[in-house]
Amino acid sequence: MIEVEHLTKRYGAFTAIEDVSFSVPKGHVLGFIGPNGAGKTTTMRVLTGFLPATEGRAVVAGFDVFEDPVEVKRRVGYLPETPPLYRELTVGEYLRFCAELRELPRADRLRRVGEVMERVGLRGWERRVLGTLSKGYRQRVGLAQALLHNPPVLILDEPTSGLDPAQNVGVRELIAGLAGDHTIILSTHILPEVEALCAQVVLINKGKIAAAGTMEAVRAQAAPAYFRVSLDAPGVEPAAVARAVGALAEVKVVQPEGEGLRVEAEPGVDPRPAIASMAVGRGWGVRGLERTIPTLEEAFLSIVGREGA
Amino acid sequence: MTATFAILKRELLTYFVSPLAYVFLGVFLFLAGVFFYLGIALTGEASLRVMLGNVSISLMFVLPMLTMRHFAEEQKTGTFEMLMTSPVSPVAILVGKWLASLTLCLVMLLGTGLFVAILAYYGDPDWGVVATSYLGLLLTCGVFCAGGLFASSLTDDQVAAGMGGIVLLMPLWLVGSASSLVGEEWQARLDHLALLPHLRSFTKGVIDTADIAYFALLTFGFLFLTFRTLESRRWR
Repeated sequence: MIEVEHLTKRYGAFTAIEDVSFSVPKGHVLGFIGPNGAGKTTTMRVLTGFLPATEGRAVVAGFDVFEDPVEVKRRVGYLPETPPLYRELTVGEYLRFCAELRELPRADRLRRVGEVMERVGLRGWERRVLGTLSKGYRQRVGLAQALLHNPPVLILDEPTSGLDPAQNVGVRELIAGLAGDHTIILSTHILPEVEALCAQVVLINKGKIAAAGTMEAVRAQAAPAYFRVSLDAPGVEPAAVARAVGALAEVKVVQPEGEGLRVEAEPGVDPRPAIASMAVGRGWGVRGLERTIPTLEEAFLSIVGREGA
Repeated sequence: MTATFAILKRELLTYFVSPLAYVFLGVFLFLAGVFFYLGIALTGEASLRVMLGNVSISLMFVLPMLTMRHFAEEQKTGTFEMLMTSPVSPVAILVGKWLASLTLCLVMLLGTGLFVAILAYYGDPDWGVVATSYLGLLLTCGVFCAGGLFASSLTDDQVAAGMGGIVLLMPLWLVGSASSLVGEEWQARLDHLALLPHLRSFTKGVIDTADIAYFALLTFGFLFLTFRTLESRRWR
């Protein structure tokens, strides 16, 4: 549904994004993550036809963004980082205006406005002036605007920024409900949100793709799985236990962690049977052998580094 | 067409739900009233000539203040991004905004109808001249609104857009009184570029295609420059 090939955007001498390629199949939610200033918003602006790219190609909903921008714009719903609201209008006035811009037939406009207001939880808010709304409600109006024309593709730039936890859950549920019918690119800093919603992840750093693929692949690529080992060896020094584990061929690195050990192995190798049989051979008890997959947050930090954190 | 109309409606709504339109109407009608009184008190003739000449100069300062927010504010609040990511051409956006400011001008000019009514009550105005005068004034508004929009498209700072608009339009006025600098012979040539001589034929009751072409060209020129600026902003 979305194909991005070798996209590059330069502003004068400054390269905002370089050689960015990824694709999103129909009905999927792509998590688009990266530190501030990495090029997320620039990429999204190129995909929505707001900015032209310097090089590369992007196809959205079957149309080339650079050759048929209007056809792409008809099929994309876009929520920019700050909801694009006219402060002096009411919610209803604003959404009816958007419905006209979005070329909805006159007969459908009011019905559609009612539907999306219902969907994003704005029922009864029609007469409220946008400038007086709280951040959470502005975000909802922004979402409503993006959904009005029922676009097959949704591009959401930090839809949950500035929301309280309850509103967060609401927006997350809304997006989960939209997946399947809609192909979604979701940019956010809230990584548990990406883990909950997205099957695919693109991590962009300094304008380049640092990691991309399924959630599992990105996590594993960033920081390989490791194992927590806890052995019960009465009368044996912890350092000696660590040495014994480290002597196994399957084990690459051993570090003490809490009361046990943190064991790393080559990708694809599971050292747990070897550790267990070694322990049993020496008459040690096994308290725990557990495989730990790094969280997306750990993956993010290991790729991006901690300098910005 | 739908989009142009939608934008026109939205702009008018913004004018009239905020104090903006009322402040402009108030200021403009006050100025026009002063010029109306002075025109009659000084010349003793029952005509709108003096008032309209002065009104056109004050519009040069007032209208850029009206149009300054049109693009500058949208750039700043991010609504411009929404307009440009909807399936609407920049031309439709531009024309919608221009028509909206021109509509407010029309309302302002209609307000001066009060003075025409006073004139008709006490004197016997030439209705043909009144009609052509208003036509000329409306064409002038078209030029000023287009110039103001151009200034607004150049920046996301409203004050800069307003001042820039005034500076942009002033030469149209100043070039008409440069004879002390360039001499009478060149002044005659410069008069073709100046706005007031073209407006003057309308206030005399003359509709000349050359004058209409002058206003149309300036309006179209400013709108075209605005269009190019909007397009080019995306490349920067």
